[in-house]
Amino acid sequence: MIKARNIYKTFKTTDRREVKALVNFSTDIKKGEVVVIIGPSGSGKSTFLRCLNRLDEIDSGEIIIDGVNINDKKANINKIREEIGMVFQLFNLFPHKTVFENVALALIVVRKKSKEEALEIARGLLNKVGILEKENVYPAQLSGGQQQRVAIARALAMHPKIMMFDEATSALDPEMIGEVLEVMKTLAREGMTMVVVTHEMGFAREVSDRVVFMDEGQIVEEGTAEHFFTNPIHERTKLFLSQIL
Amino acid sequence: MTFSKRSLITLVILAIITTATYYFFARRGITYIWHWERIPEMLFYHGPKSADDPVVRLRMGILMIGFVLTLKISIASTFFGIIIGTVVGIARLSNEPMTKGLSLAYVEVIRNTPLLVQIYIIYFFVGSMLRLSAFAAGTAALSIFAGAYVAEIVRAGIQSIHKGQMEASRSLGMTYAQAMRYIILPQAFKRIIPPLAGQFISLIKDSSLVSVIALADLMFQGQQAVARTYHAFEIYFTVAFLYLVMTFTLSMATQYIEKRLAISD
Ligand SMILES: Nc1ncnc2c1ncn2[C@@H]1O[C@H](COP(=O)(O)OP(=O)(O)OP(=O)(O)O)[C@@H](O)[C@H]1O
Ligand SMILES: [Mg+2]
Repeated sequence: MIKARNIYKTFKTTDRREVKALVNFSTDIKKGEVVVIIGPSGSGKSTFLRCLNRLDEIDSGEIIIDGVNINDKKANINKIREEIGMVFQLFNLFPHKTVFENVALALIVVRKKSKEEALEIARGLLNKVGILEKENVYPAQLSGGQQQRVAIARALAMHPKIMMFDEATSALDPEMIGEVLEVMKTLAREGMTMVVVTHEMGFAREVSDRVVFMDEGQIVEEGTAEHFFTNPIHERTKLFLSQIL
Repeated sequence: MTFSKRSLITLVILAIITTATYYFFARRGITYIWHWERIPEMLFYHGPKSADDPVVRLRMGILMIGFVLTLKISIASTFFGIIIGTVVGIARLSNEPMTKGLSLAYVEVIRNTPLLVQIYIIYFFVGSMLRLSAFAAGTAALSIFAGAYVAEIVRAGIQSIHKGQMEASRSLGMTYAQAMRYIILPQAFKRIIPPLAGQFISLIKDSSLVSVIALADLMFQGQQAVARTYHAFEIYFTVAFLYLVMTFTLSMATQYIEKRLAISD
């Protein structure tokens, strides 16, 4: 489903230094696979996700999603993005729109659905993430956990083939992490292809097919969650795990 | 301090100046004969207009005609100013050097030259080439002038919206234009209402400069009335008061809109 080949991505900082965010990065993600990405701050986890839907542009390499080279000049990036849902650390809900409008807007604007159709789809998804009773309130009136669940429903509304989560629970109070992880686990069990940046190793153990440990823009080690718990090989991996576990 | 408070204070000051003038004249023994009774007919009167139009009915007087024109030209240039300002404000943030450069040049030229000069250039040069009426030329000049200031306000407003909003919109498959229209601009406009209102209050006052191209606005009609009757104090106080009515109404409307839009906060 996703083929990333020899990706390089370098950022220029404001003081003109160069930061290598991804260095010769390659991986394959199969349909229905749940991949958890872990790694220290600045290791390029977010950058990889952002390159997958071209919020960041790669310098070189190739990304093929569902047979389409997404960096091809002829590729319709908006169509590709519709297929890839993204959930952000800081939710990024639209504050001037109600919960219902947050979920329905792209359906109406991008998919040109009628308001009734959008309402039905949005209701279904809000129900799925357990927050239907809040459909007419504004995001500011919701708790962090509720906001993130709305954000997941919003991404799901486009009926994506892939869902990406960039530290979706790191901005939440501890008591709200569970409710969001529960929604993510449900999605994983339903067979959604997922790329999840998280340090929640419990989530990785329960539903992931593979864990990828990144450092300095490269994959250092990958394997099942079990592998990381029982016999991580590299020193860097061990050090990192000792910090998060 | 809010606009309406400021307007109220202005009103009080205007009243104090009027009273003080009376008092001062009386003390100095200057016999200025006040003719406030001539003012109402300059607003509305009942009667014929001229020999050509002898119908007796309620008509607008000289100042009210000017008031209506000032209102019209202010509304028109506010409207076009917002359109120009929004387009240029977005263009200022473009990655395209040409778009960025041209929009910056426009903003800088307009903001760094006197409005009076701009009015003359547009009226005598552009206006006569395109055969624009004085009203069209005046509206064009004020719109182009306001547009440059609005552009800077809009640009700052857009930049104040967290970049996660654009990213979330784009990740849902929205185009840049859709994201601007539905997500970024509505939030930006809400934030820039106070500076925008300030800009349009200035525009109402600045519109008095179009009197130089013989456009019969409130200022021009006031000057005409003074030339005809010599009641300078009464007329200019009335003119000031009429400007205040417009700016005060705009402040009140702004506050109402701000309150209405605060619902989602
Ligand atoms: N827009 C940008 N401009 C400059 N540098 C950037 C930009 N985005 C990312 N970087 C840099 O690229 C590197 C990788 O960043 P990235 O956000 O992918 O890391 P991360 O693994 O997601 O880290 P974190 O756990 O802190 O989110 C970092 O050094 C970061 O400072
Ligand atoms: Mg990150």
